[in-house]
Amino acid sequence: MQNGVNFTKKNISLPISRVRLIMKSSPDVSSINQDALFLTTKATELFVQHLALSSFNNGSGKETNSLSYSDLATTAEETETFHFLTDILPKKILARDYLKSLEQMQEEEGDF
Amino acid sequence: INLICINRLSMDGDSSTTDASQLGITGEYMPSSHYVLQSQDDDGEENLNDHEDGGIKENYREQDIYLPIANVARIMKNAVPQTGKIAKDAKECVQECVSEFISFITSEASERCHQEKRKTINGEDILFAMSTLGFDMYVDPLKLYLQKFREAMKGEKGMPGVAVGESLGEELTDDSFTNPLPAGIITADGQQQNVMVYTTTSYQQIPTVQQIQFS
Repeated sequence: MQNGVNFTKKNISLPISRVRLIMKSSPDVSSINQDALFLTTKATELFVQHLALSSFNNGSGKETNSLSYSDLATTAEETETFHFLTDILPKKILARDYLKSLEQMQEEEGDF
Repeated sequence: INLICINRLSMDGDSSTTDASQLGITGEYMPSSHYVLQSQDDDGEENLNDHEDGGIKENYREQDIYLPIANVARIMKNAVPQTGKIAKDAKECVQECVSEFISFITSEASERCHQEKRKTINGEDILFAMSTLGFDMYVDPLKLYLQKFREAMKGEKGMPGVAVGESLGEELTDDSFTNPLPAGIITADGQQQNVMVYTTTSYQQIPTVQQIQFS
C-alpha cells in the first residue's frame, strides 16, 4: 500500500469501496470522482453519528441509557432531516392493535 | 394493502400504538399483518424502494448493499454517551438507513450532474446535494475534511502526476486514493487524459491544464 493511504485510514472508518458500490447501484450513475467518493464516505460517518445521537436523545434512550429501534423510528418521523427514512423505519405495532384502530377509523369516517 | 397513516392512529386518543412497551416484534414477521407502513404526504423525496405492496419489503432488502455492521456500530457507539447501550435491531436498522442515505445523496447529485451535461459526479455535486436535502450542516465540516485530505495526498506523495491507467472519475478503486490529483494527467505513453476539473476553492490552486513530462 502506498503513502496516501495513511491519511485515509486514520480518518475514515468506513470502507470506501463499499460506499462506491452503493453509489453505483443508483440508476444513471456512470462515474464518480475521488472527491465525491471521499465526501460521501465522510458524510456517511457524520450521518451515523447524527442519527444515533439524535435518536438517543430524542427517544426513551435518555432514561434507559440505550438506543432502540423505536427511538430511531420516532426520530425519523419527528425530525424533518430524517423524514426520508420513514419508509424503511416503520413504527411497529402489534397486529391486533392495528386491526382495532382500523375498525375505529372506519367507524369514524364512514367509508374507507 | 392500504397504507395507513400512523399519525392519525396515534392522534385518535388510543395511546397504545405509540407507547414503547406496546411496540413489539412478534416471533415471526408476517408482512402484511405485522408492519404498518406509514403513508407520508408526498414530500417529493426520492425513495429507492418503490413499495408495490407492504410485503415486498423483506424481499427487496435482501438485495441491497450495506456497509459492514461492525463499522456502523462502532461509529454509533462513539456517538452516544459512553455507557449507553445500543440494541441489535437498532444497529441493523441504521445500517439500512446508511445505504438509504448514500443513495439519497447520490441520486440528487447525479441529477444535477446530468442537468449540467456532465458524466462524472464530482465533489461539488455531492455538497450541493447535501445542502438541498437538508444536510447543509455537514457541508462546512466536509469541506474542511476534503481540504485536509487533499493536502495529505499531495504532501505524502511528494511527486505529483503519477500515471493512472484510466482517466480520473471512472472506476476508482481503493488504490486510486493514494494518487494525488493534478488536473491533467499524462499516461506513460504520453497521451493526455481528459479530466474533469472539479471544486477549486481558495485552498488549492489547480491549473486547468497541467503538462507533466515523463522521461
